[in-house]
Amino acid sequence: MATDTSSIPNQRVVETLASRLRRRQVVGSHETALETVLVLRQVISKARFSNIDQLVEIIRSVGRKLVEAQPKEHTVGNTVRKVLHHIREEYHTASQGTAVVSTSSNTLSIARFVLQGQPRKQNVPQKGTLGESHGTLKENNPDDPDAFARTLKPVLMEAIQDVLDELETVYDNISKNAKDHIHSDEIILTIGKSSTVEAFLKAAAAYRKYTVIIADTAPSYSGHDMAQSLSSAGISTVLVPDSSIYALMSRINKVIIGAHAILANGGMFAITGSLLAATAARAHSTPVVVCAGQFKLTPQWNLYHEYGALDFADPSSVLGFEEGNLVDKVDVVNPYYDFVRPELIDAFITNDGDHPPSSVYRLIKEAYDDEDYEL
Amino acid sequence: MSSSAGKEKLITDEEEVLQAVILADSFNKRFKPLTTHKPRCLLPICNTPLLDWTFESLALAGVQEIFVICRSHAELVKAAIKNSKWSKPGTGLKIVPIVTAKETFTPGDAMRDIYTHGIITSDFVLVTGDLVSNIRIGEVVRQHKERRKTDKDAMMTMVVKQSGVNHRTRSKGDSAVFVLDPETSQCLHYEAVTGYPPKKYARIPREILNEHPEVDIRNDLIDCSIDICSVEVPSLFQDNFDYGDIRRDFVHGVLTSDLLMKNIYCYIAKEGYAARVKDTRSFDSISKDILSRWTFPLVPDDNHPGGHSYEHLRGNKYIAKDNSVMLSRTCKIGNNTLIGSKSQIADNAQVTASVLGQRCTVGAGSIVRNSYLFDGVVIGPNCVVEHSIIGSGVQIKERTRVERGCLIADGVVVGPHARLAPFSRLSKRRSDGDEDDEDDDDDPEQADEEDEEGNESDDGDDEDEDEDEVDSELEEVEANQDAEALAKLGSDTNAIIWPPPTVNEDEEVDELEHPDNQRLMRIGDDASDLVLSDAGSVTSSESESESDSDSDGERFQGSNPSSSTTSLLLSTPSNLVAQADSAATSEFQQEVKQSLDRAFAEGHSVDNAAVELKTLRMASNVSLRLVRDAVIAGIVSRIKIVEDGAISQRKEIASMIARWGGLIDKIGGVDPVETVELLQEHCASSDRLPLFGQILAALYQDDIVDEDDIRAWHAKPESQGEGVKLTSLQENYKKCWVTGAHMIKQFDEQDSDEESEEESEADADDDDDDDGDGESGTGNPAVKPLEKELNPSKDASSSEEDSSEETSNEGDEYSTGEDGSEQDDLP
Repeated sequence: MATDTSSIPNQRVVETLASRLRRRQVVGSHETALETVLVLRQVISKARFSNIDQLVEIIRSVGRKLVEAQPKEHTVGNTVRKVLHHIREEYHTASQGTAVVSTSSNTLSIARFVLQGQPRKQNVPQKGTLGESHGTLKENNPDDPDAFARTLKPVLMEAIQDVLDELETVYDNISKNAKDHIHSDEIILTIGKSSTVEAFLKAAAAYRKYTVIIADTAPSYSGHDMAQSLSSAGISTVLVPDSSIYALMSRINKVIIGAHAILANGGMFAITGSLLAATAARAHSTPVVVCAGQFKLTPQWNLYHEYGALDFADPSSVLGFEEGNLVDKVDVVNPYYDFVRPELIDAFITNDGDHPPSSVYRLIKEAYDDEDYEL
Repeated sequence: MSSSAGKEKLITDEEEVLQAVILADSFNKRFKPLTTHKPRCLLPICNTPLLDWTFESLALAGVQEIFVICRSHAELVKAAIKNSKWSKPGTGLKIVPIVTAKETFTPGDAMRDIYTHGIITSDFVLVTGDLVSNIRIGEVVRQHKERRKTDKDAMMTMVVKQSGVNHRTRSKGDSAVFVLDPETSQCLHYEAVTGYPPKKYARIPREILNEHPEVDIRNDLIDCSIDICSVEVPSLFQDNFDYGDIRRDFVHGVLTSDLLMKNIYCYIAKEGYAARVKDTRSFDSISKDILSRWTFPLVPDDNHPGGHSYEHLRGNKYIAKDNSVMLSRTCKIGNNTLIGSKSQIADNAQVTASVLGQRCTVGAGSIVRNSYLFDGVVIGPNCVVEHSIIGSGVQIKERTRVERGCLIADGVVVGPHARLAPFSRLSKRRSDGDEDDEDDDDDPEQADEEDEEGNESDDGDDEDEDEDEVDSELEEVEANQDAEALAKLGSDTNAIIWPPPTVNEDEEVDELEHPDNQRLMRIGDDASDLVLSDAGSVTSSESESESDSDSDGERFQGSNPSSSTTSLLLSTPSNLVAQADSAATSEFQQEVKQSLDRAFAEGHSVDNAAVELKTLRMASNVSLRLVRDAVIAGIVSRIKIVEDGAISQRKEIASMIARWGGLIDKIGGVDPVETVELLQEHCASSDRLPLFGQILAALYQDDIVDEDDIRAWHAKPESQGEGVKLTSLQENYKKCWVTGAHMIKQFDEQDSDEESEEESEADADDDDDDDGDGESGTGNPAVKPLEKELNPSKDASSSEEDSSEETSNEGDEYSTGEDGSEQDDLP
């Protein structure tokens, strides 16, 4: 068993996931999130720590390592933040019992109102005094350094299980409200193959009869798979080339797309072509609805629309490698994601309810702890 | 942790470990002088040693255990492996460096070494130490194993990548034609192609076209040098001590051998990228491929094997992320450029399509274009560097011009105000002490050294050499410096100029390594003069070289094919492979003749003689037909022509065939039709034409050929002498064919009156005796029954074709025999 905190990120499981992320052997926000939780669970179950700070440091170092390995998969960092958040919460309830309740039911004042953005920050200083005096939880026990870990671990495992459950039920939770968003005889446009959107549309199909127009989403042509999947579920499906999105937009009632990551300002990264669809929709004042799990909420910004923030894949899907004569002469840019600005989006449908882009910052505050924004 | 590590080990033990072998030695010297002090696999491409790219490629493919075969600079390679991130626990890779002997001159030697080490336990991946790939080799390995289940002879799968003929990454100087079965993607034939002299023909064995209804002949594939090999591959190298190159010798040898009966398959990678840094040109093109993200996810900003992090900017510019790069406000960074950390680019400097290592400095107003600067290069103000590779720590002082194609080794100082000729190669003068030593003794040893050098490049062709070898080479280069040229390198220089590659008068250079061919592999060399000049000359002399390729082969056998380089090659652009083939063939024929002579003289048993022939054939790698040809020639020429009578003649033939006829079928394959053809050929072209019928009869008697074979032979148009140019020869062919026709007639008749045959048997004996006495005395009882069968048919056709009878006594002999048999059959 590793006792040294610094060696934790070098554990085999972490290293393996890091290199798989780096080599793009794990792709897709949902899958990476799942893998991350599983690795964190393994790390925590093996880790030795005698107080909460050590534990947090262990998880953060693992998180740093994984995020560094693949900064383009934002859900890795998000999942780590989420787990940290849950762990702190569990720790507080375990160490303080009713203390939290008493502090949070303080009387309202302007000062408090400002601080309410960080309710837990406010609690932390109290923990030091209260936590050690009463309750079964003892930190830094010199006689039995493992005692803290022993008592806390079952609770931690539960907390991680919560995150895992959330990930596993995310599609169901998002699509349970589907029938409220899609009405009969509507024409929906979507782009790419997002599992979330797929589940959402299929759920709606149980209640409503509507038509989906799918753009084929070059150069990955994932729209083809989507069309196949939806039409086999009995939804009336039309597959169109990307170029006709604008022309068709006047007939479309709603654009429903998936997201790769939702940024703090309400913008998002989504598959290439989403910006095209969203801009066309804006021109026709067609509502744009984004279906995404909460794990995609990312406390980061892309204010300057940094070029490097997008992910650029190899040119082979655009220009075949066998076009030997051209390869030398043509520079091919094949971005994997588009950045869609918040003003082009009308609503996010998450497993935690529906929100406008302007309140994404609020969701992020609730989901993660402020100190984890930078891992 | 320890317990968990143990568990992990257990798991990996249970599942099959995928092994890989990296040949970390290049076995040639195309990167000289950059590689005088470090092996090629440690040259950085996009700021990371090639070996790291190879490791990453293999790790990406799911390889768990890697053996690195290093030869020269083995300590450097070992140290590099030890210090790299790969040796850390948790990478899931186990890397074992293996140092081979200095006498390992070819990849084949390295494979034999692998065999003797006995490290390979299952199917393994064989790559070179200069591979850049993102192909999921795991999938190829799975396919290979699947195939092995059904086809035990599937021994190897080569990974190739489809590209256009003119793809920048496809080496023009060293490519190949693959003949594939589109159904199974089995590789049926492999023929290496060199760019200069341009190869116009690929020879495809006819059997391939016979056996496979559909074949793909591909000349647009990049050979990635990724081979999935079965365990027996190293042992095959062990068995065939003359296999050097893996492609040219091994693959070609296995595919053309009909003894080994092994199959090689190709995997045409649809997705992914793989290429080898074979030469400076591919160094250039692979760098560009990496920068334009063909190798994704192995790109500088994502999964850089060296662990550096780069920021990807618009236009595929990569700047080190740690904010240590200093770019002047007025400098221009062009597309497809990589700039390493702590580099500085001064005012008005331009860097385009280049790779700058760490701590590089580009002075004000300098231009760097299409060049590769390793770590710590300092370029002064107002310099121009184009299409060159600059080693680490090189200083190029102000107003120096480095023209295209230059290779500058580590630590050289050039300038100021120097002007380097295109394609010059510079390295650092050794320390002064050394220099003095060497100055003392340089003159008398000059000639010796030159010879040494020649020999070395002849057999070794190795860029990663021994220290001593390097020293001697450097010494020689240093001794031959042209003071005038040196003066042009500027006042502060410490450089020596390497001579342009030339061919020594009396030294045989491998076609592949020929300087003209190498030009096609050189960075910045468009070789336009080469390609243009030979295109015309080749077409003009094509037909000529076709018709007399044999004589060409003879002519070239002894002489040096490249003594006067370009001009000679242009004037006789005959197919070099054909030359080599015919040379090998005639040599082989000599050998077979000798071995048969021995066998005949010393009375070896047929089996022993057959074994000897088989080994000979494998050694010189010729087709079965040739062996058969040689054997038949040997036997036919050994039959004495007896002047004084047919009986003794027949006896002679029968005893000869009885003794040695068996050999024909024991040389490795049975093809009686071919036997008859060859027999015809030999009889027709020698004075043993009259004996054809008798020998054929004797062969028939000994069951070496049977009736159907004679018929099959007879049905072939070639048997009538079609396609034979000389009229006299054609006539002889015709005669033989007629003799065969007689025989077949007889067979027919034999069939028709099979019932009557038994009764006539008794008469036949008598008659035969009569015949024998009457005409020319057929004494040999063994030949008798056939003789009898043969005769009637002879009769029939002889009346049609008189010409054959007139010229030969045999005709007479038969015609007299006819009388007897006529009497036989008429009743």
